Amino acid sequence: MSMKYAYYPGCPSGTTAMEQDISMRAVFENLGIELVEVEDWNCCGALEVEDPELVYALNARNLAIVEKEGLNIVTPCSICYYNLSRSNNALKGDEELRARVRSIDDSLAYNGGVEVKHVLDVLANDIGIEELRVRIKKKVKAKVAPYYGCYIGRPPETAFDDPDAPGLMDGLIEVIGGEVVAFNYTKTKCCGGPLMMTVQDVAYKMARNVLESAKNAGADCIALACPLCGMMLDAKQEDIEEFFGIKIGMPVLYITQLVGLALGIEPDKLGLNKNVVDTKEIIGKVM
Amino acid sequence: MIKTWDLDPNFKYEIMKEPGGEHLTSCFQCSTCTLGCPLTEIIPSYNPRKIIQMSLFGMRSEVLSNPDLWVCLICQTCTARCPQDVRIADLLGAIRRIAEREEEAGKLKIESPRPRFDKAFEHQLAKYGRLYDMGLAMEYYKVKEGSFFKGMMAMSKDYKKFGMRLFKKGKMGVKSMLPEKVKDRGVMKKIFEQMGERR
Repeated sequence: MSMKYAYYPGCPSGTTAMEQDISMRAVFENLGIELVEVEDWNCCGALEVEDPELVYALNARNLAIVEKEGLNIVTPCSICYYNLSRSNNALKGDEELRARVRSIDDSLAYNGGVEVKHVLDVLANDIGIEELRVRIKKKVKAKVAPYYGCYIGRPPETAFDDPDAPGLMDGLIEVIGGEVVAFNYTKTKCCGGPLMMTVQDVAYKMARNVLESAKNAGADCIALACPLCGMMLDAKQEDIEEFFGIKIGMPVLYITQLVGLALGIEPDKLGLNKNVVDTKEIIGKVM
Repeated sequence: MIKTWDLDPNFKYEIMKEPGGEHLTSCFQCSTCTLGCPLTEIIPSYNPRKIIQMSLFGMRSEVLSNPDLWVCLICQTCTARCPQDVRIADLLGAIRRIAEREEEAGKLKIESPRPRFDKAFEHQLAKYGRLYDMGLAMEYYKVKEGSFFKGMMAMSKDYKKFGMRLFKKGKMGVKSMLPEKVKDRGVMKKIFEQMGERR
């Protein structure tokens, strides 16, 4: 495949979500798709920068850098996707806004020539399920709860899947030989992540709901595509267990890690030793 | 009882001038936002429909001091389902920013620590261009607890186990103790000075 994307890793790529970054790079290399990291990228603003115009200006810089390269941009983070994509829409559709942003600094001169993609969209649509079926070398015989969370099916302007019954991740799980468990009610519910630092008990209740729904559905693991969900459900799982006095023990994998296993990539090269809840059981299901 | 003479008829225009608040008056009070909101399963009294109605009435001080403003997750479920395109998640963000300005002007005290968190986050971006987790946590806990020492105590209580867990996985080494910085930090400063409305 002679495809090439600008790659926007996002801030957690070097810390809490390094396994997402590692597996994304490994999967794309395996598929022969070139990723060019956005030169000197800055933070998208996450959910904490509340002023939309500030978000647009922050991302105008990222988009302008990518536009010079003549590429489209892909990110593995749902929040980065949401901010890059809504900024792209706002800037493309509003000449006055573009001019105002440009007047801050020449490096923010963006002309609207970039398309923003989430990794799930690239895997399931740009590369495509049929192409992946040909590339797959192994089966991941696991029962998987596909957890989409926010910003994949909503809000409507940036969504690339159904808001209530998204299916792109389900399709990927099936093609790698996994079994999708019944998880419909919970798969688009928020993980609670945005409240983790400010209203901890509410955040924990929301994350517990996702984890227990997956467990009750008989899942061997949760698949996801957002570092904040990953932090809540994986890195904080022990805290949640302790807080409620319960035991969950649910492995949480990034979808790129699962796809990578099916492509025959070594578990360590997919960062499967970096997930906090042990992933050995899932690795043992790769045949 | 609502006293009409206490209402601020201009409040709705104040909100609509704020980016994100433009569609306020499209709301016809169907309550779809509230019925689909995942928070209502945990906080049954949580009611964005009511916040919108109060805003339309002009109940300015009641709305701006409503603690429920600060628990919205911005998950956008309401926005996706609203038949009137009110864009509720963005609208609540607009109201939060008005409340923050009121607090800065000394006219309101916000109990929630969330504005402190958001601001500490923004400060990292203005300084480094990327999120610096340690810097964020240290600033947030210091402001939230009232002093550097108390902040460090509270932070270590909340995050010791979490930090050790990440450390064991090689996710919190020496590298993450220091901020990752963009090269062009001057432009970050300029963006926050010239585009930000509440510096």
